[in-house]
Amino acid sequence: MISILLYILAILVSPFFAAVILKVKAFFGGKKGPPLLIHYYTLIKLFKKGSVYSTSTTYIFKLGPVVSLGTAATALMFLPIAGFSPLISFKGDIIFVFYLLALGRFFTIAAAMDTASPFEGMGAAREAYFPIICEATSFMIVILFSRLSGELNLAAYFSENQPMVLWQNAGAALVFVVVAFFIVLLTENARVPVDDPATHLELTMIHEVMVLDHSGPDFGLIELGSFIKLFFYSTIVARLVFPFDLGSGVANGGAFALTLLFLYTVAGVVESIMARYRMDKVPKFILTSFALAFVATLITLEVIR
Amino acid sequence: MTQLVDIILSLSLLSIIFSFGSSRLQGLIKALAFQGIVVSIVPFFMGHELSGGDIIFSLTTLLIRGIGIPLYLYSAIEKIAVHRELEPIIGYHGSILIGLLMVVAAMFVSRKINVPSASDSLLLLPTAMVLLSGGMFLMMARRKAITMVLGYMTMENGIYLVGTTFSVRAHHIVEFGVLLDVLAGVMIMAVILQNMKQGAEDPDMALNKISKE
Repeated sequence: MISILLYILAILVSPFFAAVILKVKAFFGGKKGPPLLIHYYTLIKLFKKGSVYSTSTTYIFKLGPVVSLGTAATALMFLPIAGFSPLISFKGDIIFVFYLLALGRFFTIAAAMDTASPFEGMGAAREAYFPIICEATSFMIVILFSRLSGELNLAAYFSENQPMVLWQNAGAALVFVVVAFFIVLLTENARVPVDDPATHLELTMIHEVMVLDHSGPDFGLIELGSFIKLFFYSTIVARLVFPFDLGSGVANGGAFALTLLFLYTVAGVVESIMARYRMDKVPKFILTSFALAFVATLITLEVIR
Repeated sequence: MTQLVDIILSLSLLSIIFSFGSSRLQGLIKALAFQGIVVSIVPFFMGHELSGGDIIFSLTTLLIRGIGIPLYLYSAIEKIAVHRELEPIIGYHGSILIGLLMVVAAMFVSRKINVPSASDSLLLLPTAMVLLSGGMFLMMARRKAITMVLGYMTMENGIYLVGTTFSVRAHHIVEFGVLLDVLAGVMIMAVILQNMKQGAEDPDMALNKISKE
């Protein structure tokens, strides 16, 4: 029961957390910034509108937003939020979850290609390229975690005091994993320094360019999906950053929310103090995360031999 | 205690991969300074009994290796305004992957080699090997003369680590490390002098063939 409530709550608060990043960026810019509920207003505004479809698009274009929201929401079902057991869990679900997110990406790319706009094709090519390296990182981390805990599902890594067990087994190597996963978070969610969600110049965009042609409720679905996806990745990092079990559920939930807030703030700070990388520098940045995960895996293999 | 050594050594493993990936001379020098500091503090965490002389020795190497030489190099390249781009012969992505392969190979090989005093840290020997081969690789894969010195410094960090492996029995191997440090300093001097001669442009080693004849 509490899992269902938490799941609904997570989807409801994900736009709020995303607004924290905007607030932090505004603070660094010396501005007041948008209200913290800005994304709710945007979503409501978008859902009230009607959609415009180009004559060159087919049903795939309409399918894209629905699938990307659906996959993100489904992936969240497998994730233990704040250490509580997830809605669904089975052996090997982590691979399923990663491919679910890949499926969402595939449909976003397909919808972008469907518009027959050259700019969107360019964004699609980048979106297809960069997450491949991310996938290598993610699976390296999965290999490490499955070696540490002997399990292959998300619940076994992140529920209750499991993150603490991971820390005890792996030690310092997990610092690398946290950094690597944070890089994956920035890449997968199209944040600075990989992609700038604020620009509106087609040549420099990755994710934003692919959703340019979506409008109204469709765009709302995409936005909500990206908030949920950001929440998904942040939850994983948050559980690794703050692995302690405080005993009571309420305390755990509170600590988890604070850690999330901290992580979103860090993302906001990163966006404020860094510039977006030149496009050909981005693979190197992501490859760094792979190197981190790889070295972490090697080190732990040595230690727990 | 052993755990702590492994953490420090894993940091130096990372520093070499970062140095493979850095495209700017300044970044490379920073990575190297970090590596020098990390490598020099390893003896403190090995769990051996350290005499006063040993501590002074380690601190001196830390000062020379981690702070002195990098600062000197840094100010030198600032002064003569070298191109900051590294001009790699092997690209950065390839270099990072080769670095990872080196780590794997070193891990694999070090299990076969039985160094009795290295047994108290699992990562000591592999890290030393990676530093040695990584320094060699940096020398080969970058075109600038100054990166050859930096590659040499990396190699020398590896030699220092091998020295600490045996340092229980043979102290002078560590001293040998310091000696090589000084040698590196001399090489740096040579590069800078050459620079001044050729007029504020870092000599391209590919062109050096001509000047040799």
